[in-house]
Order: sequence, then C-alpha cells, then structure tokens
Amino acid sequence: MNDENNQPLIQMHGVNKFFGAFQALKNINLDVRRGERIVVCGPSGSGKSTMIRCINRLEEHNNGHIIIDGKELTDKVKDINAVRREVGMVFQSFNLFPHMTIVKNLMLAQQLVRKVSKVEARETAMLYLQRVKIPEQADKYPIQLSGGQQQRVAIARALCMKPEIMLFDEPTSALDPEMIHEVLEVMTDLARDGMTMICVTHEMGFARSVADRVIFMDAGEIIEEADPKTFFNAPKSERTKKFLSQILTH
Amino acid sequence: MSFDFSLIAESLPLMLMGIGITFKLLVISGVLGFCLAVGLLLMRISGKWYLNFPAQVYIYVFRGTPILVQIFIIYYGLPQFEWIRDSVFWAVLREPTGCAILALTLNTGAYVSEILRGGVLGVGKGLLEAGSALGMSARQKFIYITTPIAARLALPAYSNDVISLLKSTALASTITIADMTGIARTIVADTYAPYEIFMSLAIIYMIFTFGLQKLFGVIERYLGRYSRREG
Amino acid sequence: MDVLTGWWDDYFWGALIVGKVFICSLGLMILFGLLGAMAKLSNSRVAQKIAGAYTVVFRGTPEILVILLLYFGSAIALTSIAQIFNPDIKFVDVPPFWAGTIAISIIVGSYATETFRGAFLGVNPGSIEAARALGMSDLQTFIYVRIPEMWRLALPPFGNHMLSLIKDTALISIIGLNETMFVAKQAITVTGKPFTMYIVVGAIYLGFSTIVTLFVMGVEKFGERTTIGAK
Repeated sequence: MNDENNQPLIQMHGVNKFFGAFQALKNINLDVRRGERIVVCGPSGSGKSTMIRCINRLEEHNNGHIIIDGKELTDKVKDINAVRREVGMVFQSFNLFPHMTIVKNLMLAQQLVRKVSKVEARETAMLYLQRVKIPEQADKYPIQLSGGQQQRVAIARALCMKPEIMLFDEPTSALDPEMIHEVLEVMTDLARDGMTMICVTHEMGFARSVADRVIFMDAGEIIEEADPKTFFNAPKSERTKKFLSQILTH
Repeated sequence: MSFDFSLIAESLPLMLMGIGITFKLLVISGVLGFCLAVGLLLMRISGKWYLNFPAQVYIYVFRGTPILVQIFIIYYGLPQFEWIRDSVFWAVLREPTGCAILALTLNTGAYVSEILRGGVLGVGKGLLEAGSALGMSARQKFIYITTPIAARLALPAYSNDVISLLKSTALASTITIADMTGIARTIVADTYAPYEIFMSLAIIYMIFTFGLQKLFGVIERYLGRYSRREG
Repeated sequence: MDVLTGWWDDYFWGALIVGKVFICSLGLMILFGLLGAMAKLSNSRVAQKIAGAYTVVFRGTPEILVILLLYFGSAIALTSIAQIFNPDIKFVDVPPFWAGTIAISIIVGSYATETFRGAFLGVNPGSIEAARALGMSDLQTFIYVRIPEMWRLALPPFGNHMLSLIKDTALISIIGLNETMFVAKQAITVTGKPFTMYIVVGAIYLGFSTIVTLFVMGVEKFGERTTIGAK
C-alpha cells in the first residue's frame, strides 16, 4: 500500500486551465501526501473548485501534469476511470439521485462500477450509513431528508466506493447554519481515521482543528500555504491578510 | 331550428363503430412514433454531426408542415412513382389506413423526439457529475440517471402530444377512412344535420381525451412518487 | 419541374390567402386567449367556469371537426336567421375564409388562454409589490410591470401557437378555401403529378413556418436585450 519512493498521492505540476480566454488556474504546483488533510480557501472565482475538479477530471487541465497515485491523468478514458475509482467527491449541492432511495443511491455505483454483488453492495451501504449516523433513512427518498442529512448521505455514497482520496467542494455552503455542524462532524471523523482529503470550504474552525495544511488561492494562483497555526496567526502575504480580515470579522 | 335527439340516438352507434379504427390509428402510430422518436433523440444527442444534422432537418420539416399535407403526400403523392407501386411496400401504401399510420407515425415521431430531448436537457448537470465522479460510464449514466428523470420531466408534454395525435386521427377521414369522423361526415352529408352529428362526435372525442388525461395522471403520479415529501 | 409552369402564380395567390388567414386569425386568437385568461384569473366563478369549459371543449376536439361544425352549422344558422327576414332565401353561404379563420382562432385561442394565464401567474409577485410600494396605480402597474414581464414569459409557447395557426390553415382547404392545398388539387387533375404538387404545398408552408420561427427568435432576442438580466 506504500507509494513507491514515498511519492505523494496527488501531484500537480505546472497546471494551467483556461475557460476560453479566461485563465482559471495559473501554474498550480501542489503535492499531497497520503493521509494529509488540506483545506483550500479563497475568494469566489479564485479557482479553488476548478482545481479540485481537475483532479477527478470533471474539468480538463490545459497543460501541466496531474498524477494520482502514480497514474497520470490524461484524455484516455481508461486513465480517467482508474483515477475516479480512487477519488471520491462531495458536491456543494449534494447531487443525490432524486429518483432512487437512499440505500439505492449508495448501491448503484458499487454494482455498476465496482461490479459488486447486490447483497454485498447493500451491506457496504448500510455500513457507511451507520458511519454517517443515519441508517434509519435507508428506504426514504432524498427529498424527504434535510439538507444536512442529504449531504451526509452524499459523503457515505462516495465512501462506499472505498476511495483513497476524498474531495469536498464547499460541502456546507448550501446548508442552513444549524445543519453545518453534523456534516463537519462526519468530515472530522473521516479525517481522524486517516483519510486523505482536500476540502474547499469557508469553515475556518474546521480548518484550524483538522487541517494539516491550509492553502489560500486568489485569481487562479496558490498565494500561500502553511500549517493552520502559522496561516491564521502569521500570514505572510498581503492578499491572505486581507482575505482573512474579511471573513473572520463576523 | 330544432335539435333532433332521435337522430343522435340513431347515429351514435354508427359513429362508435369507427372507434376501433380511431383506436387502432392512435395506438399503432403512437407506439411506432415513440420508437422513431427515441431513435431521433439518440441521433440528436449523439454529438456526431452526421447523425445530429439529418435528425434536425427531419424534425424541422415534419414539425414545420401541416400534417394534412404529409398525409396527402403519402396517400395521393407516392403512387405517382412507379418504383413505389412496384415495391414490397405497395401493399401497405396502397391502403389508406397504411398511409395514415405512416404519416401519423412520421409526424408524431418528430414532435415526441423534441419532447424527450427537452426532458433530457432538464436533468440536472450536477447529477450527471455525481455519476461521473462515482466512475459511471456514459452509457450507465444515460440508463440509470438520465432516462428515469427525463421520462418524468417529459411526461406532461408527452401526454399533450398523445391527445394531439388522437385529434389528428380524425384527418384520416379525409382519405376515405371510415373512422368516427369519416362516418360522421357521411351521416351529415345524408341528413344535413351538422349540429347534432358533429356536436355528439365532439363529445365522444372529449370523453376519449378525458380518459387519456386521467390515464396519464395516474402514470405521472406513479413516476413522480419520489418527488413528493410524504413518505 | 416544367409541370409547375403556369401554376406558380396560382400557388402565389394561394400562399397569399394563407398569409391573410394568418393575420386575421392571429388577432382573433390573441383576443380569445386574453379574454379566456382574464376570465380564468378573475374572481367570478361564472367566468371561470365558462373559460374552463372553453378550454376543455376546444382542446379536446379535433380541429377538422370544429371547422366542419362551424362551416356547415353557421350556414344553417344564418340561413334560418335570413329566412326570418326574407322567406325566399334558400341558402346563405358562409365564406370558407371566415368560417375557417374563426374556427382556428377559437381553437388555438383555447391553448393561448392557458399560455397567457400561466404567463400572468408567472410574473414575479415581488415586482408587483415593489410597484405598489412605490405608489404606482393598478393601471400603471399593469402596463409597466405586468405586461412587459408577461409577454416575455408567454413568447416561446406563443410562437408555437402562431405555428399552429399556419398549419391549421391547410385544414380549411377541406371546406373549399382557395389556398395552396386547393390549388394543388386542381393542378393534379391537370398534370397528374400529385407528389410534386403537394411537395410544393409543403415547401410553402415550411417557408411560412420558418419566417414565423425566425421572427419569434428575433423578438426573443429583443426581449432579452431590454430586460435587466442577472448579468
């Protein structure tokens, strides 16, 4: 299970991404070791979502290299699928399949992509539903659950695929304030269990308590990265300081 | 001007004899048209220009011209060509019923494919991204995510189209088919009583429409059971 | 192609008739649609019921039937009325143009009722509240806030209603309107080329459809440009 030569699990070298004439990512260099917990923050439009969406090829990077667990991410469908097997994603708008029950949501990809049997898929599904603390909702439909519950189901759905890496794209931004805690709790548990994760979020409390590294992005570039203590108490760049002052004063 | 109820009583059974033909036209054209629509839809969303473009042209032509013209072209127009008369299709194309079914099928296929496409476009992009992130293939996403959701979205528009199809079957009477409208027109020609006959015929169609709407209501409730909060 | 020589001007006049029907029925359709929508949105139960019956009847009855009923029925009605004044009159002829135009206006008007009703309901209530809070009168609110938002909402389905009017014009040929289908019928008896003749009819109607579609697209662009959007 150890990477050869102790290579980082995720490597991004010189990654650029354009949307037409607009450059969303400028020369991104990022290495993530196995078991590291990264929080990415920054103003809207800074490219944070774009960056993690490039990791599982929901966006295509224009140049540079992205290497996941030793495999380079290219146009080839085989490479893309190999990466997606190992990378789980949780979306801001949950994206649960509305026409399936909760447990079916968790079983579908297991059966189709990992070719797991129906019985085994259900077992795994119930296991992870337990882990996110809502096993009793198994036979309900997504619309019958609260936002916080839906997002926890979304996390469980990604976990059922047994990924090596979990990506979170602003997982609590669409939630009512009283439901943010239950989702962050699940994410914290996951982090404690050693899951490698990259989390785009505005939840600075989470960053302080869980992250190994906090990364600040602005206008497509990585401006600063540091451990949480240094990042929040002694930020180096002016832009970082400005951002922190804006979001921490309310 | 009196309303001759006895005439209605006599004519109703005659007109209802045509209901079998109306029904036959509706169901056969409906089913074949739906299959055609699915084919056109797949061509439209294939992403390949040599499939998309011909489908677009077909849909444009069949939605842009009156169905009566399409019926006449097939029934009166095709026999102009000797190679058609000599071909194996002639057995079908010689009969007005065959021509009517062909015309209705080609027409409804164009409309329904656009309705289905509307449903497909309405499937939330995020849901497909979730499928991709989970590693599902394009084919798997289309079958398990797109199709069930698009079907529910397209259903109201589709039910309207089926009702339009029912009304279009009345045009079969213009090429001598003895459906309900055809029989009614014959009766009116004999009795000069358009009010009684045509109004009772209209009521028959309205009942038929009502039945279809109720049927689709049931289907809509079944398909949409996951979108209602009560468990 | 030379079979068509000599027929081009007949087709031209026929096409002109199609245009005339369109203009006349468009105005009537908007009138019926607005009346129906306002009746449905009004507080009067009676008005709502009548408008409700209007939409149910004319959306559930085949267009050809309504045309036939109106044409033959009105001839009889008008003859009876005329005979009250002058018993020597044997028959009052209703011109197919008007019977047909009114018929299709009534039919498409019933669909337009639903479209306009939906569009009025779709106007953002917040905009209305804002207008009231600013002290605008009901009439001012109607003209400057409700109507601009409403017609933009109604436009796409309204475009379809216009296309329906054009295509339904072909049905009026059944009661003898001298438009392109009628011309084709005559041309066929002379030239014996039904396919060619009806294809020309189809092309003419396709031309009309295209013009209407392009026009609607243009108006939609205008609507977008002059609306303060989210950009």
